[in-house]
Amino acid sequence: MTEQTLPAILDGYRPIPGTYDEMVDAAGTPRRHVGAAAELLAGLGPDEFARSQALAELALIQQGVTFSVYSDQRGAEKVMPVCLVPRVIGAEEWKRTERGLMQRLRALQLFLDDVYGEQRVLKERILPPELIHESRQYIPKLRGLRPAGGVRIHIAGVDLIRDPAGVLRVLEDNLRTPSGVSYVLENRTVTKRVFQQVMAHAGVRRVDEYPTQLAEVLRSVSPTDPDSATPVVLTPGPFNSAYFEHSFLARSMGLELVEASDLFVTGDEVFVRTTKGPRRVDVIYRRTDDAFLDPEFFRADSLLGVPGLMRAYAAGKVALVNAPGNGVADDKATYAYVPELIKFFLGEDPLLGQVPTYVCARPKDCLYVLEHLGQLVVKAVDEAGGYGMLMGPQSTAAEREEFRQKIIADPRRYIAQPRIELSTCPTWIPERRCLEPRRVDFRPFILTSRTGTWVLPGGLTRVALREGSYVVNSSQGGGSKDTWVEAER
Amino acid sequence: MISRVADHCFWVGRYLDRAESTARLLQVTRTLAFDAELPALECWRPLVTVSGQYPDFLERFDASAADNGEIVQTYLTWAPENPVSVRNSIRGARESARSVREVLSGDIWQSTNQLFLWFMGEEASRQYIQDRDEVYRRIRSSTQLCLGLVRSTMLHDSPMDFLWLGVLLERVGQTARILDMHHHMLLGAAEGQHQILQTALWLSLLRACSGFEAFMRRSQGRVTRKSVVSFLLLEPAFPRSLRYCARSALNVMRRIWPAQDQGVAQSVAAPALARMEALDRWLGLYEEDTLPSSIHPLLTHVVDEVSQICSEVMQGLTGAPAEGTAEQSQSQ
Repeated sequence: MTEQTLPAILDGYRPIPGTYDEMVDAAGTPRRHVGAAAELLAGLGPDEFARSQALAELALIQQGVTFSVYSDQRGAEKVMPVCLVPRVIGAEEWKRTERGLMQRLRALQLFLDDVYGEQRVLKERILPPELIHESRQYIPKLRGLRPAGGVRIHIAGVDLIRDPAGVLRVLEDNLRTPSGVSYVLENRTVTKRVFQQVMAHAGVRRVDEYPTQLAEVLRSVSPTDPDSATPVVLTPGPFNSAYFEHSFLARSMGLELVEASDLFVTGDEVFVRTTKGPRRVDVIYRRTDDAFLDPEFFRADSLLGVPGLMRAYAAGKVALVNAPGNGVADDKATYAYVPELIKFFLGEDPLLGQVPTYVCARPKDCLYVLEHLGQLVVKAVDEAGGYGMLMGPQSTAAEREEFRQKIIADPRRYIAQPRIELSTCPTWIPERRCLEPRRVDFRPFILTSRTGTWVLPGGLTRVALREGSYVVNSSQGGGSKDTWVEAER
Repeated sequence: MISRVADHCFWVGRYLDRAESTARLLQVTRTLAFDAELPALECWRPLVTVSGQYPDFLERFDASAADNGEIVQTYLTWAPENPVSVRNSIRGARESARSVREVLSGDIWQSTNQLFLWFMGEEASRQYIQDRDEVYRRIRSSTQLCLGLVRSTMLHDSPMDFLWLGVLLERVGQTARILDMHHHMLLGAAEGQHQILQTALWLSLLRACSGFEAFMRRSQGRVTRKSVVSFLLLEPAFPRSLRYCARSALNVMRRIWPAQDQGVAQSVAAPALARMEALDRWLGLYEEDTLPSSIHPLLTHVVDEVSQICSEVMQGLTGAPAEGTAEQSQSQ
């Protein structure tokens, strides 16, 4: 049998009943907006697809597009698995989503200004004050301090999921050091290389302006003249799980990638050690956690960080991107109140829905959660990466008991949500050489400069590669897909 | 340029050149050892000496192992415990490059990464059994590609200067050690032997320094001890001669730390710069006819000075003395 007569790989693909599929409807017919992608798959047999997939993987390995896994031995690198079947978002839906994201970010920025300022939101009981005061991410010492440039959430990654009715909902906000954008750009490079013909006329919006936009954001918040400002990217180093991305961003913006030991502070100004002596630094895009910014400020026992950095920040001599203290706004308990915050600060109704959330800090919610552990997804409010999580419906009795004890001991630290049947996308299964539905989420990236907000037309689609899994994190066996945002016609 | 980044660039250069040079030496020695004219010659032991690892080798094997080509080749190519093995040089180059990817070009990184992935993968291990010469050839051509890309795809400013300084200083050391090793072989083994054998050894020395064709053009086919030695030591136009490498290294250092720069950098770099200037001047004093009959003391001096300069450059950059063991001077 020749290759041309083999069935195209999308034939016979059926979504999971009760779940929305990104590419086809319940009958298996491609959705209207996925045009080019469906055309691409219709023309490919399994042999050809497997070849393209192998080519893509080789390209990623050779370019060293890798992440390190915390639980792995020190420094072990892995390639984030990529599936070449793209996830497509229609132009209309994108426009709505973009507006919703900008609205949400505007409200969250005002919320942070308020929490670290007047605290009207607490005085007027929009949010229970304990929620803020007991948050591990709240930094009371920063109150009254306005960051250079005025922006706090320069880079946001908001995780969206799609429910069985086809509605995109916010699952969580990442307002500290959201990662993943390098995969968006690298996945696109690979797709373009492998599917040159289709990409040429697919009408997909470009993602490659991200580095330029980011560099613009960094310069815009400089306390000195933006044209002569020196921004740097601060990384914890090559053993960090996202090191590839730190290096990638520094490289594509043409900025220096520094480690904490390269920086020092004299007279409230920050300098980098260079081969020609110290050089003043104005903006730091830091990919380190708050706690490792400045040992003088955060933890005296830590040797990591730049002593005096927070002093320079407080003096307005350096901009930190994102601002320290943002964690109080992407806390999973604060999340439950974001619709309220949007109404309070903007006087608008939220454009994007979110997932109903039980906040264990509320006694009534807590009781409900403890009684329904088997049906809920329980998350620690300040953890990420799929760690510190209980997937109720798939859990063992012992796991549920463990979480019961944890919740009782520290209810503030936990929230719970019903398990949403995440939408699926056709995904290449190498063992069976065919496409099967696998669950996906979506992380768009939103940049805010001194003068405005920009949403990258694309984003990171993560896919749970294991059959039946709902966990898309790369640290837990997730992969990624290129995300195509349809251009307006 | 950030000092830590400069330090990594320096090591990318050193590791790449070290990998190339070790692979070349192994390749040349294999050819020499296969030559039917030279049955009893101790070809392999000197290689371990050149690497500076002889004491470590003796701790792991008995002394006769140094004459066993297989053991020596495995030790110099693969041994994880040998800090200057090809494996550790390639790994070191790749790790340093990964730490400073943002200042290298994408092409350099990809070539270095590909070399690493191939060498650590099954293909290279299989080829090592089936077609060893090809393994050495590929290591050499891959590292040469990386170094070529350095000059053709990087900005010609500080990061490249530091990388190239690493290459040049590594080369001074390598050429000096290889020359010293052959000198010993010739004094020891070739005493009273046939002229053909002596010539074969001199040609092998030239090949070990990638200088066969260049030498032939200069000497028009006349191979004598004096002409070979003075070529490798003093030829100003041969890119691996001691004089060429030392002069180029000095020029690179002057570009990195210009004399009119009176800042911190000057004082930090001053010891290394002064020592490099002295070494360059000293090498300039010799001519073909004034070279001593035993060049061993001269070569030892060069190796020691270069090792000092590397330490001082490191110290200036990071406040710490140089790592690695290839700086160990050769004491035979």
